Amino acid sequence: MTDISSMLGIIEQQEPDFAQHVVTRREAIAKGAKVSAALGAAMALGSVPVALAAFSKEAYGQSTAATVQDVLNFALMLEIFENEFYKAVLGTSSVAAQNNAFAPVRALAIAAGAQPVLAQISKHEVAHVAFLQANGAVNVLNLGASSFDFTGARGAGNGPFAPATTNLGFLLATSQGAEDTGVRAYKGQAGNLMSNTTVLEAALRIHSVEARHASKIRRLRRATGATAVKYSGTVSGGGAAAAGAGNLNPPQAIVDAFNLIYAGDDNVTHAGVNVTSLSYSSVSGFPSGTDLATAATEAFDEALTKDQVRAIVQPFFIPTIP
Amino acid sequence: MTDADGSDGRELVIGSAEQLWQPSSRRNFLRLLGLGGTVVMLPSLFACNSDDNSVTGTGTATAVTLNLSNDTGILNYAFALEQLEAAFYTAVVASSAFSGMSAEQKEVMVDLRNHEVIHREFFRQVLGSARVGDLALNSSTVTTITANTATILKTAEMFEDLGVAAYNGAGKYLTDSANLLVAGKIVSVEARHAAAIRDLREGLSLSGTPAGTRFAGDDVVNASGLDVKLEPSGVLTRVAATNVIDMTKTSVSIGTQPTTKPGTDDQGPPSPTP
Repeated sequence: MTDISSMLGIIEQQEPDFAQHVVTRREAIAKGAKVSAALGAAMALGSVPVALAAFSKEAYGQSTAATVQDVLNFALMLEIFENEFYKAVLGTSSVAAQNNAFAPVRALAIAAGAQPVLAQISKHEVAHVAFLQANGAVNVLNLGASSFDFTGARGAGNGPFAPATTNLGFLLATSQGAEDTGVRAYKGQAGNLMSNTTVLEAALRIHSVEARHASKIRRLRRATGATAVKYSGTVSGGGAAAAGAGNLNPPQAIVDAFNLIYAGDDNVTHAGVNVTSLSYSSVSGFPSGTDLATAATEAFDEALTKDQVRAIVQPFFIPTIP
Repeated sequence: MTDADGSDGRELVIGSAEQLWQPSSRRNFLRLLGLGGTVVMLPSLFACNSDDNSVTGTGTATAVTLNLSNDTGILNYAFALEQLEAAFYTAVVASSAFSGMSAEQKEVMVDLRNHEVIHREFFRQVLGSARVGDLALNSSTVTTITANTATILKTAEMFEDLGVAAYNGAGKYLTDSANLLVAGKIVSVEARHAAAIRDLREGLSLSGTPAGTRFAGDDVVNASGLDVKLEPSGVLTRVAATNVIDMTKTSVSIGTQPTTKPGTDDQGPPSPTP
């Protein structure tokens, strides 16, 4: 069997930075540190490629750690964005132009009974901003109500999301995209908060609230014509299809945005386990004919990196996100 | 792979006179409980109850004792909760009440069954021989719950909110970021479920939360915008109170508490009312 150490030697020649992290990891393992279940299983199986894949993922995952302060600031930035979005939608923004822009769709939301839902979500975003600021998050960009262009044109006011100000279907699809981005963003940063478990736990508790929001918005959309989204509020598949926005016949620019928001959400391999290839046949209650491929994508929500999140939200920010 | 305490798993058929006699047939019994007919028990945790081995001679009681001092234990805790949810929704979809549900309710129940079964089987695979045994449900309790849609949805709301609280409270105890990521991938799906069930229940004209807010009501999201969260001991106390697990056959308990880490105050979901 191939020795892992010799394999690492090869990698060290080709990618010194990677190798440096792996060496640290290797030393930790040699000293008896705990190995994750996936990596342990891969090594026990003698599957070198699988073990290396797990190795590289873990080594990189731990090497790119942002500080807790970085994560708090990043989270605050996203929460201010969401907060100002819902305020504009509800007409409670401190900037009249933002309120006025959404006046047409606001009337439609009220008529459709969606206003209390949006108000409940808005209440939580207000609370998240206050909570993060009370716990040391810094508004690095000095973001305020006038820092955003919710059409997605960085201030020009004529971006692809302009229909969200006049069309309830587009508004809810946009809201869903914002909430799902929030879920994926928090998930992606959890690992960077492990050194401060109080902040980690608070972040996890915000993370699940965002998921509740996303679920409800999906249900609202399903009840109003978006037949491609699930009543269970879960995300089917990945890429633009996962938005379930086909009923809106969205322009290509919005499709492109959804492709970023739901990139990789169709992943079905977690901790080295492909959940579509498990032996469900021995499990009663999971009948043949079940759409396992779709269910598998729904059962796990994927994370986004900070860079991915930045690319998604930058069009809505007038300032440049560092 | 072996557990931290070095124990190995082995497979046995689970079964007992009481479990087998209550449902009308063994086939229905298996469907009801969502069990594959096998159970893995750790020999070190093996506890024989002489009353339970009269039918097959191999079936017996198993104690699920969680060692929450390491990641394997925390993942086993999650595995136990997913077993519970998966078995519950499997029983729901097999119930006569299910056939009387609306199309929307059916879609949600089938989706939740699928997701929870996938979660359960994922943990079974990841944990390998380090996994705890399979849980036995209290079939009389399950029969009562699944007798009508209202109690099904009420129980589902309780389980989903409890699942969110459990994952939110357990994340800080995971020491490997890869494991934390997996837990994060699952907890947001549980939160989606919770919101969907709560929203379905609002549609049943339940009082208590203002219209349009029950999906993330003030009873589960506090003034700081934080969701529910419970330490493992609080979760297991609530699980025991449901009487859904047959504790005479698979007692679930915490053998070793997690190593204390700073966190936030417990905030459990309310008992679903009405």
